[in-house]
Amino acid sequence: MIKKILLGFFLTASAVNGFSQSSLPKVSQFFDLTGTLGESEGAIAGAYVHNWHLGKKKKWEIGYGVRLTSYFGVKKDYITAPARLSRSSTIPFVVVFSGQETKNWDTLNVQRPFANSFNASVNFGYNFSHKWSAGFNIDVIGFTFGRATSGVLTSNGTTRTETVTKPAAFNLLLTGDNDLGSLNSEFFLKYNLNNRWALKAVYQFLFSEYTTTTIKQTAPDGTQVDRFRNKVNAFGLGITYQLQ
Amino acid sequence: MRKIIFLLLLTTIFFLACNKNAGSLTESINERVDANATVVTGTMAGTFTSYGQNVAGTAKVYSQNGKLSLVLENFSTNNGPDLHVYLSKETMPVNFIDLGKLKSISGNQVYDIPGTPDFGQYKYALVHCQQYNHLFGSAELIK
Repeated sequence: MIKKILLGFFLTASAVNGFSQSSLPKVSQFFDLTGTLGESEGAIAGAYVHNWHLGKKKKWEIGYGVRLTSYFGVKKDYITAPARLSRSSTIPFVVVFSGQETKNWDTLNVQRPFANSFNASVNFGYNFSHKWSAGFNIDVIGFTFGRATSGVLTSNGTTRTETVTKPAAFNLLLTGDNDLGSLNSEFFLKYNLNNRWALKAVYQFLFSEYTTTTIKQTAPDGTQVDRFRNKVNAFGLGITYQLQ
Repeated sequence: MRKIIFLLLLTTIFFLACNKNAGSLTESINERVDANATVVTGTMAGTFTSYGQNVAGTAKVYSQNGKLSLVLENFSTNNGPDLHVYLSKETMPVNFIDLGKLKSISGNQVYDIPGTPDFGQYKYALVHCQQYNHLFGSAELIK
């Protein structure tokens, strides 16, 4: 899926690569507001981004940012989160491509998830022209606060009500299922309307994590699991206001 | 700029149109088990107790050809979001078997019971608002 989207971005971008080039700025700073919608779920993200332009023609961008992402949904399934249970390998980066250990998965149906995650992020981009650019950003570290709600845990053939599920408080990018907490990432294609405003189309991949309070999954290795993750794939639109 | 705003609105409507409709519960139904179905262990049935939601009626477990069904007879309740029918070990739905969404807020209705639960443990029929974790009614299945 991600490969197809990347290919789509770059094919679209290459089609408009005939624009005349003059020098791009050394630094760009902007505010970003993005909205995405999926089935019975959605997210709104506001970010500040500071990027440096690299290369002879300053086409490449790299930088940092901070982002507040509010994720909300109704009756969403969260599955067993710890990578040692959910994947066949926990080696950083390898974990992303490792096999899914579905036999270890249990499902926590969180009734009304609403989580706000505030994270530091890193950003990468490429300017095809003054009008068009594409890129990727991902949250690295931060914290989450949000609404506690009830959940239904289906585990080992039994179904139980967990009265208090709440968002995992600490977020940390460790690659794939090793990640902790709620982390947002976006592939985007951006079109500059003028010197200040830009529109962007976004593919979002978001991890949302909730923890149980009293009822836990008993894993095959005998450990008690209270972390459950929802992986959100969604498309959306965003608007950017350029500061510099 | 107007074109862009129009496109944004159009896209939003497109996404919202993908959401499922909940469907209406208010239409009364009249489901019956077959005439040759028998109530499990003679008289395994209970009358609903309401928790402020006007739940009334009887819950019975029937058996037919080795398959079990929970039957709600002369059932009625207030309407609510995300109402489910459970077989539960407790009056509050801590450990339960979800028999599915409530089909209607009134009438006779039949729910398939998966497997053969131990009715010594699963001795309550519940109507529960799952999304807001609010119990509407319970009936103890008395042998």
